[in-house]
Amino acid sequence: MAEERLRVDALVVGGGIAGMQASLDLADQGYHVALVEREPSIGGKMIALSKVFPTLDCCSCITTPKMSAVAHHENIHLFTYTEVKTIEPNGGSYLVHCVEKPRYVDTGLCTGCRQCEYACPIDLPDPFQMGLSAHRAIRVPFSTAVPQKAVLDIDHCLLCGKCEKACPVDAIDFTQGPQDLVIEARAIVLATGYETTPRDAKAEYGAGKLSNVIDGLMMERLLAPTGPYLHVLRPSDGKEPDSIAYVQCAGSRDETLGVSYCSRVCCMYAIKQAMLLSGALPMADITIYYMDIRTFGKGYEQFYQNARAMGIEFVKAKVGRITEDEYRNPIVRVEIMEEASRVEERKHDLVVLSVGMLPAYDPRPLYGVPIAEDGFVEAACPNIAPPMTAQPGVFAAGTATGPMDIVDSIVMAGAAAAEAAAYLERHDGEAKTYAGRSISMGEKEAIHA
Amino acid sequence: MNAKEKARERTTALKRLREEHAETVARTQALLKEQQAFRKKLRAAMKGGPKTIPQIAAASGLPSDKVLWHVMAMKKYDMVREVGRDADYYQYQLAEEVAE
Repeated sequence: MAEERLRVDALVVGGGIAGMQASLDLADQGYHVALVEREPSIGGKMIALSKVFPTLDCCSCITTPKMSAVAHHENIHLFTYTEVKTIEPNGGSYLVHCVEKPRYVDTGLCTGCRQCEYACPIDLPDPFQMGLSAHRAIRVPFSTAVPQKAVLDIDHCLLCGKCEKACPVDAIDFTQGPQDLVIEARAIVLATGYETTPRDAKAEYGAGKLSNVIDGLMMERLLAPTGPYLHVLRPSDGKEPDSIAYVQCAGSRDETLGVSYCSRVCCMYAIKQAMLLSGALPMADITIYYMDIRTFGKGYEQFYQNARAMGIEFVKAKVGRITEDEYRNPIVRVEIMEEASRVEERKHDLVVLSVGMLPAYDPRPLYGVPIAEDGFVEAACPNIAPPMTAQPGVFAAGTATGPMDIVDSIVMAGAAAAEAAAYLERHDGEAKTYAGRSISMGEKEAIHA
Repeated sequence: MNAKEKARERTTALKRLREEHAETVARTQALLKEQQAFRKKLRAAMKGGPKTIPQIAAASGLPSDKVLWHVMAMKKYDMVREVGRDADYYQYQLAEEVAE
């Protein structure tokens, strides 16, 4: 099998907002960067969100230009649908062995017209829409995907050939196989992101079996202009909800789940969603059941006060159990901690669990980078250089290091890029060689094994 | 590589994929059969004008959450259109009926 080799100054692992920002900050300084993303498109979790807090700017409008900038930057070599398999030290640099998974689509020919997608007969839950709607076995991942190329999910393909017949440019290629790639990099930035508490994590909250108990990311999709229903509807029957409740700390500050920390973003995203819902459904009652409201960032407290002024009901309470009635309306059993403490059962049309952030990736086996008690990447110098890890030349950015919001992820990505650049300068010889030599981004060696 | 060689390579590759993915292909075929049966009932229930999800579910005897998922999938691929509202629910209609 042909193996490609690429030499760069820095490898960035993960194409979410932090990985993209770190790549752009390094590339703009003249360093050559390889960005590896395991999904078929860059954009990470942020591209699926509706709006950012506290400015309520459109997420897609912020993320899409960065995705495009990454794809078109002359110093960035982008590898999507590619995973790091092994890594070995190589005298001051790292040899990173990657595998590019087959798309079964010739990306040089594919125009992203989606005719293959329309021809494919099978409908599957679409992860971009959090399973609320469908996509096909062959599809362009989402409307603003970068690259805007189709990808075929071979594990759900009928191998019927209908996509091949529909493709106007003969881009379907069943002869493709995994492609090995070796990237030689002097520095690495880990931007591997986060996962959220699974919706089925708590039996008390219905264990994921109640259709009208959704999580924060599902609500993000319902609120997004490219969402699954193009309206805010509840998943059990398509009803426009009149009463929506948020359950805070549904997966954070919860020892029963082994998550003792605060995820930092849940209060703010719940308040943001509640404000957006007030706009989308002006007649709906929106209640937020909270333990504490943590509004730590610039402009966040004012945002919270604005939400209160808009009529969103904040109830200091702990939700003990969620069940449903015969019409699948969620019934929230809640201990209210205001005035006289009491237990009540309240009926809503839709309940949103403000799920927390969990580590998405264990860097120990491949990178030898230790993790902290919470499972996120451990900073070697947390007070003076948070992106530095214990491994020389390996840095971390964004939510790979712990729960944080988009603003902090971007700031930390910039810091990781600065630390990586300083490291490359300190280890001057090779770094200058790579950055200063007239190695074009396309320079590759094809080594035939 | 000429066209004949390319076609031969494609045939060989497809044969290999069918062997390697026999289990997933069989599973997907079973899912397709299930979806086709579901869609047949769904389409029959949707005939005759705009309907809400609960109305389609009642007419077909299918669970309303699955009806919503399939209607949204069909809407995404232009087989169903959203045509109006009835109280708290949107109404949907088969695309070919809307076009008529």
